Amino acid sequence: MTRTRTATLALFAAAAPLFAMPAAAHGYREQGKPVAVAASTLVVIPNRDWNQLAGKPGKKAERWTLDGEQLDQVTFYGGIAPGEPLLRERDRKHRPLPKLTRETLLAEVPELLEATYRTDRAIASFTLHDARPERFLGTDGIRFAYEYVDDDNLPRRGEAHAALVKGQLYMATLDAPRLHYFDRVAPSYRALIDSATLR
Amino acid sequence: MPVLAPVLAAATTPAPPPPPYTGAYQPQGVDEIGLWKEMDEDERVLANSPVLIRDEALNAYVRGVLCATVGADRCKAARLYILRTPLFNANMAPNGTMRVFSGLLLRVRSEAELGAVLGHEFGHFEQRHSLAAFKAHRAGTDVLSWGAVLAGMLPYAQGAYSLRNMQISIYGRLSRFSRDQERDADLHGIGYLNGSALRPQAASVVWQNVMTEAERSAAARGQAHPRFDRIPFFASHPADAERAATMAALARPDAATRDDGAARYAAALAPWLPLFLDDQIKLNDFGASDYLIGMLGEHGATAPLWVARGDLYRARGYPRDLVSAAEFYANAIALDPNLPEAQRGLGLSLFKTGRRAEGAEALRRYLQLKPAAPDAAMIGMLVATAGQGQ
Repeated sequence: MTRTRTATLALFAAAAPLFAMPAAAHGYREQGKPVAVAASTLVVIPNRDWNQLAGKPGKKAERWTLDGEQLDQVTFYGGIAPGEPLLRERDRKHRPLPKLTRETLLAEVPELLEATYRTDRAIASFTLHDARPERFLGTDGIRFAYEYVDDDNLPRRGEAHAALVKGQLYMATLDAPRLHYFDRVAPSYRALIDSATLR
Repeated sequence: MPVLAPVLAAATTPAPPPPPYTGAYQPQGVDEIGLWKEMDEDERVLANSPVLIRDEALNAYVRGVLCATVGADRCKAARLYILRTPLFNANMAPNGTMRVFSGLLLRVRSEAELGAVLGHEFGHFEQRHSLAAFKAHRAGTDVLSWGAVLAGMLPYAQGAYSLRNMQISIYGRLSRFSRDQERDADLHGIGYLNGSALRPQAASVVWQNVMTEAERSAAARGQAHPRFDRIPFFASHPADAERAATMAALARPDAATRDDGAARYAAALAPWLPLFLDDQIKLNDFGASDYLIGMLGEHGATAPLWVARGDLYRARGYPRDLVSAAEFYANAIALDPNLPEAQRGLGLSLFKTGRRAEGAEALRRYLQLKPAAPDAAMIGMLVATAGQGQ
């Protein structure tokens, strides 16, 4: 009996995505149309057409790509509050992610992202470069660059922009393979950053 | 009871020295030759891996410890690779590829302890355990046998230390062994140590430390105390408590006074310790990291160890942690006033506890010591805003 029920459930689970397709599908972000991202008041105006990936990496995060997440991904973090991690915790019991705190300084945001990546994505090698102040969302922010070797053994480059607004963290990151893809997508990512405002 | 007696008797006899080495094994038959080719391809990828630590001095040192443990003739059979991976692990593939993870180097404290783990892995290799497992799986014709082979290819999981989906650990894909084979390898590992110049009692210490680390990790996360006297369902290794007890019994009692090479080990690891510690701290495992730092500082904490502890507490960031972190960084500065990371950590901790003027002073010192720091511009701005109040 249990066996039959499990099988039925499994069948239903397999079939479910077919019906839920419209909700689970990847999105399309059209050039020139302002759009709010990461379920927040963070608004960007795409400088070109972008794909929005289905499946949010966190409660307050959203991912975009041009050529697929393996080749480039832009992640928006919208208003991470003290006590919250940047991404969804895949294993809260054994691998909890580091949390933003009330005391976290803007200068410590790179360390927070690094620890999040290392814990969440099992990255062994991560190097931070060039953290400097830069305006973001019309306020004092930070821009930083980093490099890491992802769990697929491929060296990647990253760039991030972040600002703390009323104690909440707003951030955007670009992650792409170091070879070719990062430099190709970086101008489009930076144009998104330039257009970002808080509504 | 009569069944148990021979086991106990065996466990109280020191492990015998290994038999004469028979030399490198050559694969036989299509299956083995095919497997060898796959492992050779794995090794080719490994040799080009960006997480490989290529430093000649460290590689020569770890190889030296392996050779001192298993002997010069056996040592030639191993090609050693050190990976920057914060896991307590090492493995050896049947084609002679030995992988040593940086997390292992961080956790052992002497040549004897390192030799115990490397000797254990070499024991698997010499006994051709992987091949035996492979052949056993191949002998089966049904789907379940193949399932077991495929399961063997899953990443090597070791409880709390598991970093899943990690390609680098899949390289040792055939390095899962049965519990009996683990005991056999333990016996061999201690056998090598008994015959070496190192102290064989160290092997038991490794497992005791692993247990304590797991306890601290669980405690800091408010989890139940881990049980070490039980063999979890499907576990590939004997229970840790059993291992620690067996290894203590297998060591030659008269070898207990031998040098364990702790001083030489500490000297060789010193240049790498800050990096390995940083990799560990950023795994966000407070209890385990705190324990490791304490263990490394057992005979006196050094400035890098105080910095590591400061980073750990500052990252967790409870208000009381920030006060402790500032104190730890100050301890580091007392030992070495020219350590930029200590000044940076102190400055940031003081800033976060509201002592902005003092914090700015430490950050200024950081910028003086490391003007080309990657975050110099950002820290410079923090210093500039210190006078402006909250």
